[in-house]
Amino acid sequence: MDSKTFINELLRRGADRGVASEVCYETGSSFEAEVKNGELLQYNVSDSAGLGFRVLKDGHTGTASTQILDDEALTQLVDGALENAALVESKDEQFMFPGSESYPELNLYNPEIEAIPAADKIDMAMKLEKLALSIDPRVKQVEGCSVFSSSEERRMTNTLGLDVTTKASLLGGYVSVVARDGEQVNTGTKIFFTMNPAEVDLEAVAKAAVSEAVGGLGGAPVESGKYRVLLRRDVAGVMLSTFAGIFSADNAQRGLSRLKGKEGEAIAADCVTIMDDPLRPDSPSSAPFDGEGVATWAKPIVENGRLNTLLHNLKTAKKQGVTTTANACRSSYAAPVGIAPTNFFFVPSEQDFDALLSELGDGLLITDLQGMHAGANAITGDFSLAAKGFTVEGGKIGRAVSQITVAGNYYQLLKDIEAVGADLEFRVPGTSCFGSPSLLIKDLSVAGK
Amino acid sequence: MLTKSTAESVLREALRTGGDFAELFCEDRRSGGMSLVDGHVETASTVRRHGAGIRVYSGLNSVYVHTNDTSPSGLIASARKAADAVRGSATPFDIHLTRALQKNIHYIREMPMDVEGARKAKLLRDCDLAAKAVSPEISQVRASLTHWNSDVLIANSEGLFTGDTRVYSRVYINAVASKDGDSQSGREAPGAMMGFEVFSTKADPEESARVAAQRAVTMLHADACPAGRMPVVIDGGFGGVIFHEACGHSLEAAAVAFGNSEFTGKLGQAIAAPCVTAIDDGTIANEWGSLNIDDEGNPTTRLVLIENGILKNYMVDRLNGRRMGTPSTGSGRRQDYTYAPTSRMRNTYIAAGSDDEAEIIASCPDGLYAKSMGGGSVNPVTGEFNFAVDEGYLIRNGKIDVPVRGASLIGRGSEILMKIDRVGRNMRMAQGMCGASSGSVPVNVGQPMIRVTDITVGGR
Repeated sequence: MDSKTFINELLRRGADRGVASEVCYETGSSFEAEVKNGELLQYNVSDSAGLGFRVLKDGHTGTASTQILDDEALTQLVDGALENAALVESKDEQFMFPGSESYPELNLYNPEIEAIPAADKIDMAMKLEKLALSIDPRVKQVEGCSVFSSSEERRMTNTLGLDVTTKASLLGGYVSVVARDGEQVNTGTKIFFTMNPAEVDLEAVAKAAVSEAVGGLGGAPVESGKYRVLLRRDVAGVMLSTFAGIFSADNAQRGLSRLKGKEGEAIAADCVTIMDDPLRPDSPSSAPFDGEGVATWAKPIVENGRLNTLLHNLKTAKKQGVTTTANACRSSYAAPVGIAPTNFFFVPSEQDFDALLSELGDGLLITDLQGMHAGANAITGDFSLAAKGFTVEGGKIGRAVSQITVAGNYYQLLKDIEAVGADLEFRVPGTSCFGSPSLLIKDLSVAGK
Repeated sequence: MLTKSTAESVLREALRTGGDFAELFCEDRRSGGMSLVDGHVETASTVRRHGAGIRVYSGLNSVYVHTNDTSPSGLIASARKAADAVRGSATPFDIHLTRALQKNIHYIREMPMDVEGARKAKLLRDCDLAAKAVSPEISQVRASLTHWNSDVLIANSEGLFTGDTRVYSRVYINAVASKDGDSQSGREAPGAMMGFEVFSTKADPEESARVAAQRAVTMLHADACPAGRMPVVIDGGFGGVIFHEACGHSLEAAAVAFGNSEFTGKLGQAIAAPCVTAIDDGTIANEWGSLNIDDEGNPTTRLVLIENGILKNYMVDRLNGRRMGTPSTGSGRRQDYTYAPTSRMRNTYIAAGSDDEAEIIASCPDGLYAKSMGGGSVNPVTGEFNFAVDEGYLIRNGKIDVPVRGASLIGRGSEILMKIDRVGRNMRMAQGMCGASSGSVPVNVGQPMIRVTDITVGGR
């Protein structure tokens, strides 16, 4: 059955059962070419389509989803979603949204990306691998190198009048290299992504990966103790992505975030402003509407250290007597409605990286953190993570550091930010996209020797 | 699902441009989930995933195409797309599929999809009550249930035409204890390759809920773990994650075949202390990481990885086996049809040793007792790993002393394996989801209590 007929029939059957119902239909295609030693190693392409069905009955929603659009699926979706809604006992009222008056205009789809022939993307990956092997004699091995592209379209429509569509595309890739010097071995990875193929600078990507791997050779632990620390932009971005859940009103209302009831209070150093901007033109995490179909807009969540608002959807906003911030999230068509930021980032200052190093004077520069999914507790904010980086003496980068852990608490870290850099960089976009400039932190605990 | 003749046509189309091997993997998966927060069912959902992946080899190059369209014309179209990316030189050969019936060793009594919602809700509610009964400091309990049954069909140009049904059930409990603005959490998540009967036989969800809650309360009253190098005793069960991260990933052919592993070329050599024997076993009935056949259609196996410290075997999938010139060990796995398979772990554990567990603590110099481990990760090239200690205690004067929070263990796999000086007698396993290039797959980790003489402990 074609998708339009299927969706119309599904909504009609929902109406017949006396409930408001909603469809989230996603289609997409993806491409990835991985190369090794100048040959195409792995080549993946896909077309996908999936449909999520949500019903609202007596203030409760139930969901069911499918990847087949046939008669059997129609019955399964309607029965399944209604049965699931009946099982829900939560006292929180849930909602379905009839649509906003108007939606922002966003152009997130670049047809040029889909038009790039497969052979050209394979050539890009080959070139990236070759470049990575040509920069430094200590890099003789590429661990992984690939180029990918994807495009995705989402349509949300419901029986209350909502009918909105968004489409986005992305081109990206990565190279991961191994540097060896005697017994010393270290790896370095650089990922790139863009909506504009003309922007791709493969040489810069290769150089960044090589410099990461070579620079870290000979790394050794430092003495255990408290250190003043500069978190490089990418590391600061990883931290933000790991702990972004503390800004969710849903978590706060459940007592799973210490930011509960802190609206209007200082929760971070004065120099900290954190934006959620769903309208960034160059990010596939942008969207004109959120996971409930509400029109989106850009807003500071933390402004000069003060918490303006938590991130809300219709349910949490109603519970707290505020309006939604349009941060309802459906990570896929099959997922229930949750909360997530869109493009979430520390607003940069004018202070460049070298100025931050000077301000640090003596301390540690952290360039890599591992184990975020295990060594970081998103509820308590505690973290204890394997790290790599460099010593900094007199504002100058010193020797490589490895085999250390860095420990602290993210709520405290927000207050201990002494300076925010100018070098804002975004991480690979997914449902959300996180960004940060480098951050100077008053002190963190380091375990080493 | 699909007829033999359709599969033959698809494979023929996939080899049209000179590929030398083609495979079709079709999957129909139904899954369900329910979550309970604050004693109330919060979400309930059902998901149907359906699609196919087509793989073509030309020598050591591999092409993978996946689609939701499993109609004969849709599969042929995807096979054509795969073939278009291949410039092979194999002479065309005839494909004749022969049905292979696999012996099923994983019996399922109650298909979870058929269990009524009210029973599932009761299971979660009982977990919630059990956790809250542990202490008034338990401020929040999240319990959730996930289950799926996946029907797979695997056909390849060597004539294989086979299938399997995999059924999984698991419950997750996360308890939070709070006091004076401070909070700590404890997690347990028992599951098996079993139907809903797992919750009345192999697993005890209420007991798991109590363990999780007690852990949260214990850690709430714990001080920060001191940092530095010290001996560490790691308890059985999920403690096996140390081996999984520090060694297991580096023994997967996906890392070994390209020299991206510190254990490449070390078969027959001592890579661990003589007290260490390690096994990867996909054949244990109904275990979380078990299978009848792997995702390339090969029977699963029991594989000795390390015997008395000597490296014996790598875990090998079909493609990396070609690269290494060794046969598959039935280790080819993938999350679902959207991933090309690669070599992965199954139920991976350090085998029981001969040391008395009380003696291991009593004879230990001052250090850390890691009673429960969290997850971790590893860089297979350098062997550098890290993982979190969910529940730790200091060891003082040969006794388990005060609890400590926020500890993590870091090191290099090759070093840690050599520094194991005690291996206890009681091997236990625990469930986890392991993520890698072929997605997230169910695995067991396991070990008896072990002691590492010297490891870097991160803390404050």
